[in-house]
Amino acid sequence: MSERTSLADLARRMAAVVGARNCFSSGPDLLTYECDGITHGRTRPDLVVLPGTTQEVVEVVRLARASGRPIVPRGSGTGLSGGARPVPGSVVVALSRMRRILEVNLEDGWARVEPGVLNLDVTKAVSGAGYYYAPDPSSQSICSIGGNLAENAGGAHCLKYGFTANHVLGARLVLHDGKVVDIGGTSLDSPGHDLLAALVGSEGMLGIVTEVTLRLLRKPEATRTFFATFPSTDEGGEAVSRIIAAGILPAAIEMMDRLAIVAAKAATGLDWPDVGAALLMDADGPVAEVEDTSARAVKIAREVGALEVRLPKSEAERQLMWKGRKSAFAAVGRISPNYMVEDGVIPRSEIASVLREIASMAKDQGLRVANVFHAGDGNLHPLVLYDARESGQEERAEHLGGAILRMCVRRGGSITGEHGVGADKAEYMADMFGESDLETMKWVRSAFDPECGFNPGKVFPSTALCGEKAGPGGRVLHPAEKSGEVERW
Amino acid sequence: MRERPGTPEDAVQGVIPRLVLEPATVEEAAEALCRSAADRMAVTFVGGGTDLGLGGRPARLDAVIRTGALSRLVEHAPADQVVTAEAGMTLGALREALALHRQWLAIDPPFSGRATLGGVVAANAFGPRRARFGSARDLVLGVSIVRADGAAAKGGGRVVKNVAGFDLPRLMVGSLGTLALLTTVTFRVHPLPETRATVLFPALEAAQIWGLTSGWRAAQLEPTSAAAILDSDRFDLGVRLEGFESGVADQTARLLDLGRKAGLAGERLGAAEAEGFWRRHDSVRENGSLRVKFSAPPSRLPDMARGWLPPVLGELSPSGAVLYPTLGIAFASGEPASSAAGLVAGLHDARIAVIAAGGSLVLCEAPVAVRSAFDPWGTPPPAIDLMRSLKERFDPDRRLSPGRFVGGI
Repeated sequence: MSERTSLADLARRMAAVVGARNCFSSGPDLLTYECDGITHGRTRPDLVVLPGTTQEVVEVVRLARASGRPIVPRGSGTGLSGGARPVPGSVVVALSRMRRILEVNLEDGWARVEPGVLNLDVTKAVSGAGYYYAPDPSSQSICSIGGNLAENAGGAHCLKYGFTANHVLGARLVLHDGKVVDIGGTSLDSPGHDLLAALVGSEGMLGIVTEVTLRLLRKPEATRTFFATFPSTDEGGEAVSRIIAAGILPAAIEMMDRLAIVAAKAATGLDWPDVGAALLMDADGPVAEVEDTSARAVKIAREVGALEVRLPKSEAERQLMWKGRKSAFAAVGRISPNYMVEDGVIPRSEIASVLREIASMAKDQGLRVANVFHAGDGNLHPLVLYDARESGQEERAEHLGGAILRMCVRRGGSITGEHGVGADKAEYMADMFGESDLETMKWVRSAFDPECGFNPGKVFPSTALCGEKAGPGGRVLHPAEKSGEVERW
Repeated sequence: MRERPGTPEDAVQGVIPRLVLEPATVEEAAEALCRSAADRMAVTFVGGGTDLGLGGRPARLDAVIRTGALSRLVEHAPADQVVTAEAGMTLGALREALALHRQWLAIDPPFSGRATLGGVVAANAFGPRRARFGSARDLVLGVSIVRADGAAAKGGGRVVKNVAGFDLPRLMVGSLGTLALLTTVTFRVHPLPETRATVLFPALEAAQIWGLTSGWRAAQLEPTSAAAILDSDRFDLGVRLEGFESGVADQTARLLDLGRKAGLAGERLGAAEAEGFWRRHDSVRENGSLRVKFSAPPSRLPDMARGWLPPVLGELSPSGAVLYPTLGIAFASGEPASSAAGLVAGLHDARIAVIAAGGSLVLCEAPVAVRSAFDPWGTPPPAIDLMRSLKERFDPDRRLSPGRFVGGI
């Protein structure tokens, strides 16, 4: 690695590439870039650069790498795993200025966009013509396509429509040495290894994406939604299992427990009853089929013991129901001074028993957990509530969050369904994957970036040298590494 | 582990291996790779042998590792709609096991009876239902592999939603045994549809197929398959609708109505006729000593039918072609009519045109004379250096199917 150039010198050269306004190493603007959606882990980068074109990204990457500094790519900074958290001495490359929709081809169903384009803006650009972009993370009005690609973002509707990985057709990638390479394209099955598979979900570790070709879908003809309440999550979970077992593939099927319902009510003023569990289901597709499957699902919900089933009388009412669900995360802030959101996955059929286990674990720690989740695919979002002012609560909350993730792995699930591993979950990777599994993944990383200078400290439980074998069973991070004071890339 | 000398039946594109290894357990599979590593043997993995014509002739081949004995169903969780099975299990056997629970794996490639799960993933094999369910890439959730160095590894998981770590399962799709041996695969499965219907629109021009395809998309119909089979100079378009009775009946009626408005007479086929139509489709995909895959943006379908297929079809007798209008993919197949030179010239012309449209032309099966004069993959893609770099890490000694993949990988 080359000798580190002085920061002032690097900042000058970067400013010459992107303009002085788009490059800063101090001042209040820097604060924004010290963390992503996970605000408890803050690290000050050396420099923040906002390139506006692929060519600028190329030059920025070359300068940063030549200076020996790691690069931390960043989209909107809404991620919930610390995936865009800087490491000390790093250059944050934020793609938020690159937000043009470059080309739309409805006939072949794709749009080519820059990485800073917001998820919802893709749909807005084509919805007049009856098309949309399917992945819909709850943050879709503020999260960027580049960030979605990095984290393989999901959303409520990925049960039927899949994740970002299923909707990216191509990408333009700036590599560690500044080379620009196009992967995939607008026709299927480009010959060769499926590099897009490696790229989507790689959490910014392979390079910087400067253009993405997204698949656009024709809007479904009809959507039918219902909201059902149950005495407890046991009946709610049973309803989900039986709806799926009946051969119905809902577009989305979401569940909230009592605490999450209380929070959503407090935030939105919805007139939801005080109950043990609520289910929100969308069925979409051709109208006759949707009428039929939706009616079948409602019947099942009633058979299983639904207290009440509400069918929205208008699109506005439907949107309000979804607003309640989508605001549940933030709403938890109304009933607790602090909270942590987890993102575990379990086999769908075990929902009820897992929720009971979480409740008992929470009780042991003297904490409360609100549960909001994508029930159809077993993706739990336990929100661990705590009060940071009370001594020891934050630690207990962290401990509980970790214990929940480990329980998900024990049940045959995953430590993350859609938020990514990032910096926060890296240490849990060793619970899910063995030494050779992680080593194989590192091969993929080093095939793209031999020096591992893109987004160090993410995903892998050990920050051991690039491509080096991980220690047996992973390594516990040194507290100084965990806090971001020390780096070892 | 069972082992024996290679025979002509074990040949991969005419190259006979010295040795055949037949692991019956995942441990034996690891042992086979360890041994290959120790003896520096070049190996190719063979499942049902249904896609051995895909790609280049092996540059070296010491041993074939057959996965046929690696055929157990590891776990089917009907309530979670996921299944894990060993890679040598045939799609046919898996279908039978899943059908007991009224479920299926929605991948329907040619030779479904004997194609193995590992082979389907490695070759990214697919059939008409890709229109609705995607390919193996969209349905694979997890893999266990044995690497070139003999170490076992895994990626993905056994739940439908999971983004922990790099996506090894998808990376394996279409990698044709150049990165690792697949030992088990986990898939998402679907409920078997309550009912199905096939609507036939006979004797269409290419433009009419595209018109109808755009029409049903505009009308928000959601067929699970659409395939147009060439019959002399016209196409018979079959559109399959699957799901609950009420939805299928409604969509069928609306599709027929769309056709009528465009002046196209369609009919809902009876069960036996529908089966006959899809068998005809399979026959184009499965027969012929030459089989070629074309892929381009779907809207180029008229060019595909009128401009790109004819130079190849003109050199075949008999010949056949299938077009998947929603995918932008077509297959041509048949027997070379005259000289290999004429056929190679036709393939060249077609490839140039397809590439100019942003697509690709790949040989799925071809006689040696054609193969030696025509690269099965075409000019390496712009990202070839990254692919080589990937190969270098997974298989630094180039012992896994050397020479078969893009750019000689």
